[in-house]
Amino acid sequence: MLKKKSKTDPALAVDIAGLKMKNPVITASGTFGYGEEYAEYVNLNQLGGIVVKGLSLKPRLGNPPPRIMETTGGLLNAVGLQNVGVAAFLAEKLPFLRRYDVAVIANIYGESYAEYARVAEKLSAAPGVHALEVNVSCPNVKQGGLSFGANPKAAAEVTRRVKAATDLPVWVKLTPNVTDITVIARAVEQAGADAVSLINTLTGMAIDLRTRRPHLKNVTGGLSGPAIKPVALRMVWQVAQSVAVPVIGMGGILTAEDALEFMVAGAKAVQVGTANFINPLAAEEIVQGMRLYLKHHKIKNIAEIVGTLQV
Amino acid sequence: MTEKAMARNIYLGEVSRNEEVRPDFFLMKIRLPAQFERPLPGQFVMVRVAGLQDPFLSRPLSIYACKQGPRFCTIELLYRVAGKGTRILAGLIPGSQVELSGPLGTGYRVDRTKKNIVLIAGGIGIAPLSLLVRELRRRSCRAADAMTVYLGARTETALVGLDALRQSCSRIIVCTDDGTLGEKAPVTKAFQRDLPKYNPADTALYACGPKPMIRSLAGLLNDQYFCQVSLEERMACGVGACAGCVVAVKDASGNKAYRRVCADGPVFELKDILWE
Repeated sequence: MLKKKSKTDPALAVDIAGLKMKNPVITASGTFGYGEEYAEYVNLNQLGGIVVKGLSLKPRLGNPPPRIMETTGGLLNAVGLQNVGVAAFLAEKLPFLRRYDVAVIANIYGESYAEYARVAEKLSAAPGVHALEVNVSCPNVKQGGLSFGANPKAAAEVTRRVKAATDLPVWVKLTPNVTDITVIARAVEQAGADAVSLINTLTGMAIDLRTRRPHLKNVTGGLSGPAIKPVALRMVWQVAQSVAVPVIGMGGILTAEDALEFMVAGAKAVQVGTANFINPLAAEEIVQGMRLYLKHHKIKNIAEIVGTLQV
Repeated sequence: MTEKAMARNIYLGEVSRNEEVRPDFFLMKIRLPAQFERPLPGQFVMVRVAGLQDPFLSRPLSIYACKQGPRFCTIELLYRVAGKGTRILAGLIPGSQVELSGPLGTGYRVDRTKKNIVLIAGGIGIAPLSLLVRELRRRSCRAADAMTVYLGARTETALVGLDALRQSCSRIIVCTDDGTLGEKAPVTKAFQRDLPKYNPADTALYACGPKPMIRSLAGLLNDQYFCQVSLEERMACGVGACAGCVVAVKDASGNKAYRRVCADGPVFELKDILWE
């Protein structure tokens, strides 16, 4: 992209544990497919990074429908990690993403410690994957997911196994469905996590009063969208004070203002998720909005606002 | 990606008309830029009130009609007020702005080799099939009496789109659950009675309606006919990214798989659908 930079253009580039991105705006796992679904809407080159849909060793069918239900200011989902599997990702999906100048972060999932490590290993051998995000926080699967992420020992063990299997930076994605998220954050940091990303969805449910049945076949699902933003902000703020590794914040970000609030709370980068569904241009617009905000407030580098919350 | 390809398929539209044509059924006309792609019958749009964040998600509505002009394209959406989102859409006055993406999904595939064209619509399922009927008349030069439509609804006042359909099709069999118009029977019952007249080799069937209707159709046809159905599901993204709107199908090797109604459909081959 040959775009002449004016002298006053603020610097948006960030470095997350050695992974350099042109800006701190990343699309969140499960909300952006494998990138190709949105390629005709969004200029993928404008994004800092793309976290692809959670990948498992074997393809996963996912949960039976209905899988989603809209709630006030949010979305409940119980997709259950439907994905093509790591082999098909490498063969069919990654080549497309490699055509773009954007960081590709593979979200990985396993039903056992060994499986997490196998998936990490396979992805690490492929050029074009720049970091791994370890999903120990999916509330919609029976094995793995939350059973690892809600237990500090198990979360740490997954982190150790993945770290041993890869040279890529390892982000661990944390669940908010715990009593104290900072305990888990510290545990994975001590186990070698290079960064933590939070929050995954909050477990919730919706009931159809007419039939007295849950709206989701899975009964419960993960809540995302603007409804969860205050909870996410609080947790990002708490975790940012508890760990030294970079924090990647997410949860209900729709606008540049939302994203900047997360950065003030301590996030070095942000992920945009459910917003993509209602506005495929959300992430791109957030990058533009950040630039304008920094310009307007005469801030030269985005890093200057990270963790500047006054309490 | 070129700049031109960016933001393709996302439009700001202006509501030019929005009328209650039957109780709880509305017809909305939306004026869009001329570059709005010509939709295939069966395709849909994701639509939301511009700037409004509650309801949060856009609503998937199938395209009922589309007129392309040199300066504008006008699409028509025939929809039923089913919940909060559609109720808010129903309240829009002419001049209101909507954000819209589309046309999305797959359309019905017209098989020109088939002599008989039979359409089966239940309730608001008439919307995509009306566009198909008009396209068949226009593109494939099918005469008004060369197609048969089986149209069913709860009651006479829910028989939406019937008058307009009469202009392009002269063979319409009407059914209502309460007998207020046409036969008092499920639409699949009326179709079942005529089924022996339709030879699988030269009949193409197209359907859209509630799941129980599609399911009973599957039971009647028993994989013997070319039949395409358009499915309805709750959707979040509309473009295949969230995997929220899936339907169970048999894949190429006969195994169960989930396909996205928004991106792999909404039109599916009836025989591929798994009924669980």
